[in-house]
Amino acid sequence: MKLLQATSLTKKFSDKIAVNNINLTINKGDFVALLGPNGAGKSTTINMLTGIIQPTSGKIEYVGHATTGHAYRNKIGVVFQSSVLDNNLSVKDNIMTRAKMYSKSTQIQILIKKLGLESIWKQKYSSLSGGQKRRVDIARALVQSPELLFLDEPSTGLDIQTRTAIWDVLNQLRQATGLTIILTTHYLEEAQTADYVYIVDQGTIIAEDTVIELQKKYTQNLLTLNYQNGEVKKITVNDKNQAIKILTENSKIISDFEYRPGTIDDVFMNLTGKEIR
Amino acid sequence: MNGLIYRNLKMYFNDKSGIFFSLMGAMISFVLYLAFLSQNMISSWSKVPDTKLLLDPWLIGGTLTITAITTTLSSLSLMVKDRESKVLADLNLTDISYLGIQFSYLITSVIIGVIMQLIMYFVMSIYFMIVDNSTFNLSILPQIVGISVLSSFTWTLFNLLLLSFVKKVDTLGKISTIIGTASGFFAGVYMPIGTLPTTMQRLMKFTPAPYNAAMYRSALMNSQLNKSFKDSPALTLSEFKKIMGININLHGTLTFQQDIMILIVFMAIIGMCIFLISGISRRLVTSKV
Repeated sequence: MKLLQATSLTKKFSDKIAVNNINLTINKGDFVALLGPNGAGKSTTINMLTGIIQPTSGKIEYVGHATTGHAYRNKIGVVFQSSVLDNNLSVKDNIMTRAKMYSKSTQIQILIKKLGLESIWKQKYSSLSGGQKRRVDIARALVQSPELLFLDEPSTGLDIQTRTAIWDVLNQLRQATGLTIILTTHYLEEAQTADYVYIVDQGTIIAEDTVIELQKKYTQNLLTLNYQNGEVKKITVNDKNQAIKILTENSKIISDFEYRPGTIDDVFMNLTGKEIR
Repeated sequence: MNGLIYRNLKMYFNDKSGIFFSLMGAMISFVLYLAFLSQNMISSWSKVPDTKLLLDPWLIGGTLTITAITTTLSSLSLMVKDRESKVLADLNLTDISYLGIQFSYLITSVIIGVIMQLIMYFVMSIYFMIVDNSTFNLSILPQIVGISVLSSFTWTLFNLLLLSFVKKVDTLGKISTIIGTASGFFAGVYMPIGTLPTTMQRLMKFTPAPYNAAMYRSALMNSQLNKSFKDSPALTLSEFKKIMGININLHGTLTFQQDIMILIVFMAIIGMCIFLISGISRRLVTSKV
C-alpha cells in the first residue's frame, strides 16, 4: 500500500537547484533509504517531505491527501541531522514537554523501556554521550506514535555498538507497530538492510531498486587469485559457478583466493564516481 | 501550548548565567548609583530633607524599568535561538500552530519580566531597608505588581517587534548590548531626564521607557515626597518631579493614569506593527533550514 508519494519534486534556492524532479514512492511498513554523498540533496528532500520547507514545484501526497495540514504532521516523526533537543533540560523534560505539545495520547513508558532511557531519565541532555543523545532524539520523535519516521543521517559519528543498538530498537518497532521508516545516510551498510533504496546525487535520483537488484545491475563479483609465484590477478565473474570453474582450473598454481560478491559500496561508487566533492 | 510555555520557562530559569546577564543592565545602574550617582544627586538636592530616602525609591523605579526591558529581551532570545537551531521547524511539526508558538514566547516573556521585576524590587528594597533604614511599604505592593505586569507586556511587545527578523544568535547579542546600554539612559537612571538637553528628552519620550519609570517612581516615592516636601511650596515639588522624571511633561504634566494610557497606546501601536509585518517575518524565519 502506498503511504507517501512524491511526484516531480523540485526545490530551487536562489542560485542553485538543490533537488531536481524527484519521484518517490514509499510503501507502508517499508524501510526506505535515501543514499547519497554529502550535498546530494537528501536533507532538502526530507525537509520537503516533512513539510518544513515548501517545494518550488511538485506534489507530495500522503495516502492520497495533501501533506500541508495538521493531520499529516500528527502522523510523522522526525529525527533531524543535528539534534533539536534542549541541552539545558533533562531527558525527562525534553520528552514530557514534547508529549504535552500533542493533543493525542502518547506512549512514553513503552519508549523509555525500549530505548533504555530509565538510567538517564533525570540527566541533563547536554551531559549525555552521542549515542545516548540519539536514543533520546528517537524517543522524542516517536512520542506521538507516528506511522512514518524520518531519520536524517541519524548515526553520523556513532560507534558501531550504538548504531547496532539503535537499529535493533527500530527494527523491533517496525515489527511491532508496522512503522515505516525513511532514512537518509551515507553509511552504506545502513542502506544494506533497506527494503528499497534511492540513490541520490546532485539533486536527482540516479538509481532506485531493492538492494539485491541494485547489486545485480551495478556491480560485478570479484574473484582475486593469489598465485604461488606471488602474482595477483583480479577477475570479474558473473556468478559462483564461473568462479568455481576458474578456481578448479587454477587449483594447482594458486596459493590462495578471495571471492567477493558486489556490495552496495560498489553500487554507490560505480554510480557516483570516485572524486571528492 | 502549556507544554511549550513550561519548556520556555524552564529554559530561562535553568540558565543561571543567562539570568545573571539579563540583569546586568539593572545591576550596573544599581552599582553606579551606590558608587557615585547617589552622592552627586544628594549634593544637588541638598535643600530637600531626607534626600537619600527620596532617591533610593527613585533609583528602584528606574532600575525596575531597565529590568523589564532587559529580562524580556533575554527571555525572547530563546525565540531567536530556536529559529537558528531548527527547533522552530521541529516545533512546527507538533499540534501547536505557528501563532501558538509565537504566543508561547510572548506569555513566557511576560511571566519572566514580572517575576524578575518583583525579585529586583524585593532585593533592592531590602538592601535599602538595611543600609538606609528606609521603610518597606507593603501597601503599595499591589500597585507595583500592576505596573510590573503592564511594563512587562509593553517591553515584551517592543522586543518582539525588534526581533521580528532576527534569526541569528550573533545579531541578537549585538542588539542586546545596545538595548542594555540604552535602557539605562532612556529610563533616565544614569541621568535624570530633566538634566538632559531638550532634543534628547524629546527622543526619550518616543519610547515607553520614561513613562514606565515615571509610573514606578510615582508609586514608590509618593509617601516620601509628601513627607520631604511638606514645608516647601508646591512649585518646588512639581519642579523636582519634572526634573527627576517622576512626572513626564508632554503638552502639560502627565498624571499616573495618563502614563498608563500612554503605555497602552504604545502597546497598541507596537502590536499593530507586529501584526502588519508578521507575514514577512514568518516567511523569513521559516524560509531556509
